[in-house]
Amino acid sequence: MPDRALDGLRIIDISQGIAGPYATKLLADTGATVTKIEPPGGDYTRGYGPFPDDTPDPERSGLFLHLNTGKRSVTLDVSVTSGQVVLRKLLTTADVFVTSERTSTLKAWELTYDDLKSDFPELIVAQVSPFGATGPYADYDGNSLTAMAMSTIMYNTGEPDREPLATGGEAGAYVAGIQLWVGILAALENRARRGGGDHVDVSMAEAVAAADEYNAAMYAFQGAVRRRYYSRHIFGYPNDIVPCADGHIVLIPGASGFPTPLTQDSLSPMALLLEDPELNKHPLFISAGERMLRWREFDALIEPYMSSHSAMEIVMTAQALRMPFAFVPTASDLLQDEHLAERAFFARVKHPGGGELRHAGAPFKMSETPMTAGPAPRLGEATADVLTSDAGYATEDLTVMSDRGVI
Amino acid sequence: MSEQELPLEGIRVVDLTHVFAGPTCTRILADLGADVIRFEAPSRLDVTRNLIITENDGLDHPWHRASYFVIRNANKREMVIDLAKPEGIEIVKKLIAVADVVAESFTPRVMENFGLGYESVKAIKPDIIMISLSGYGQNGPMRDFGAYGMGLEPASGISSITGYREGPPMRSGLSFTDPYSGFMGAGAVLTALAYRRRTGKGQYIDLSEQEAAIPVLGAALMDVQMNHRLHPRRGNRSDWAAPQGCYRCAGDDRWVVISCANDVEFERLAGAMGRSEWLTDERYATVLARHKHHDELDAAISEWTSQRDHYAVMHTLQAAGVKAAAVLNGKEALLEPQFTARKQFDVIDQPLLGKRLVQKHVAARFRRFSTEPRRPAPLLGEHNDEVLKELGYSDEQVAALSEAGVIGDTPKLPVPPQLISMALKLPYEKYVEAGILQAIEPDYREQLGLAGG
Repeated sequence: MPDRALDGLRIIDISQGIAGPYATKLLADTGATVTKIEPPGGDYTRGYGPFPDDTPDPERSGLFLHLNTGKRSVTLDVSVTSGQVVLRKLLTTADVFVTSERTSTLKAWELTYDDLKSDFPELIVAQVSPFGATGPYADYDGNSLTAMAMSTIMYNTGEPDREPLATGGEAGAYVAGIQLWVGILAALENRARRGGGDHVDVSMAEAVAAADEYNAAMYAFQGAVRRRYYSRHIFGYPNDIVPCADGHIVLIPGASGFPTPLTQDSLSPMALLLEDPELNKHPLFISAGERMLRWREFDALIEPYMSSHSAMEIVMTAQALRMPFAFVPTASDLLQDEHLAERAFFARVKHPGGGELRHAGAPFKMSETPMTAGPAPRLGEATADVLTSDAGYATEDLTVMSDRGVI
Repeated sequence: MSEQELPLEGIRVVDLTHVFAGPTCTRILADLGADVIRFEAPSRLDVTRNLIITENDGLDHPWHRASYFVIRNANKREMVIDLAKPEGIEIVKKLIAVADVVAESFTPRVMENFGLGYESVKAIKPDIIMISLSGYGQNGPMRDFGAYGMGLEPASGISSITGYREGPPMRSGLSFTDPYSGFMGAGAVLTALAYRRRTGKGQYIDLSEQEAAIPVLGAALMDVQMNHRLHPRRGNRSDWAAPQGCYRCAGDDRWVVISCANDVEFERLAGAMGRSEWLTDERYATVLARHKHHDELDAAISEWTSQRDHYAVMHTLQAAGVKAAAVLNGKEALLEPQFTARKQFDVIDQPLLGKRLVQKHVAARFRRFSTEPRRPAPLLGEHNDEVLKELGYSDEQVAALSEAGVIGDTPKLPVPPQLISMALKLPYEKYVEAGILQAIEPDYREQLGLAGG
């Protein structure tokens, strides 16, 4: 078995939802021991699905299984004092404590960084919250959608006369999870060099705002307020999804797809693609600015070709002409995709409670320490094991805790 | 700026990335304290040196005035080297010999052509960590596909679940997977550094931008396998929370998002809106019922929000315990009180441009160090001499390299960069007319409190 990058790292994770669990999934898949502390009813994503045949089952939630590969599950009610006592025992052997609670909640539980740092001077307390641990909105509640809203990205996504659109798939929460993971790794590197824990404080809203391409910049450097215009870049049309005979493709002409001052004497790749040499002299081919303003005329110009060719024909021909066109696959298309299959992207994971499923695999391939996704845990399956071997409780103690509903 | 110890102090990164994803990855490493040295070629500038030129005139040294470039390359040093010349490659190799990380974002064959594939790099520095950020990865039938950021979000499948209900798939209003992969790449390098610390071993990281973003489709991939069902596009609605949406507010193109995850939150919303009758209305009694009657709820919520300022709705609902946020444009984000309190935007004092606000790239705030930029984005070839001297080159050798055109500090392009930058865009007044820009505000530096900087 190959080495794993983070072997020996121990994480105690009370986070729920997407952002925190995705960060700890990345840590678990790279070798850390992640002990997921769930409330007695389970992480709320166990109730979210999708479920096989739409039959709710906390062991078969697709979202939960996706986000919690390779973790151990312990049920423990950390909202009561007796649960907090058990948690503190578990923290004595932990490197990182991960939470998705707001500061006010952590204060009530006496689990903020400041509450923990004297007893656990080497502990990294990683907190992802909707708006951050400090500041006027520290107690405000939120989710992926509120993070997208604050980021400027949503304002610039969608049609000009309709409501702004969030990126699909709760993308904002994933971005926050990745930024939380980066913050944890940075704090660990700092600790490895100098010793000492830290507070890693990630605001979901700021994490997504960090991804802004140029919305804030257009104002900070030019005084221009960008607004959504069919999600288009200001760098020129199309660079966008367009319909074709059997679905959609992304039409990206690239640096030399249309005639340029350097190439105007030869036939442009776009004219070759559309099989019409006359187009090379068309004003909408020559002027990027005109194309941007008169885009409906441009759409009409390409419609006969697009509507009579398949996505496969168009993208392969365009790529052969060195234009970076792309496909627009669905989740189902991806599962059947030859390129991803050859790269062995999807990973089969057999879950004790949920059967075998193909998971989105490693988001990056490491040559020496390949990422591996273990099964997602059944609710509380490691409770007895973890509390006796890691926290030093006797079996009788567990009976008492169980009777009181703490575990 | 204050002297502080940073996590990656002493780590040297040879940065052969360009445009968006790669430079975002290395910007994060730089913000964490690494010495990032980026490369451009005199005849092949980073294309972002031509994007979003400050004040939009594009005439005076545009390659030093592109905000797009500044944002992603603050905190780095830069060399301009002709990699088509053997002496140019030699310099890169000398730097790799004393580096910890090599980052690159060319299409797969390019680094091999330079003689800088992983095996060659490893031969120079056995414990090197090398990361390649590409569109589709280093192998497989699509590895040689040309890839731009705007195509990779659709290629990852995310666009298939982004869009209005019943509408076509849509892209986000940015090259979404670029920053996403940049953040991911930074974490990948940090993971490899942790492994090297423990074992002394380096490694190679192959990041496909398409693959990196596919986990966002986690639930949708499961639904296909569990129920043979494709996740529909559903605007801003949630699979779980109801009501959830983006609602028009008073003013010009002002919006707020609202989300109620459960009955308690819905009761709070009804209370804040003065709709106590909803609490006994069986059409809204459960999340399932509210999903069924979502259109009616949306109409009622819109009517209420449309009379109110977007920030007022946000604060009112948050005070009542309901998830809500104003939908911010670029100007509003720069002036946002929460962002301001937490220094989401750092002030960079950029040569030729003065003080400018640039967003943080490491989202985490730490107690023991801060990630604010220690230096502005580099001018073209600004650190040629400095880095060469560090490598032991003499003044005479540096002069000779300059004479031979191996290093440089001005573009050598077949057409003036000014021409390219002007060809890329129209006068902004036309964008305002077309609705692509909402406004142009000449007094923006006063509004941001950075006038005269």
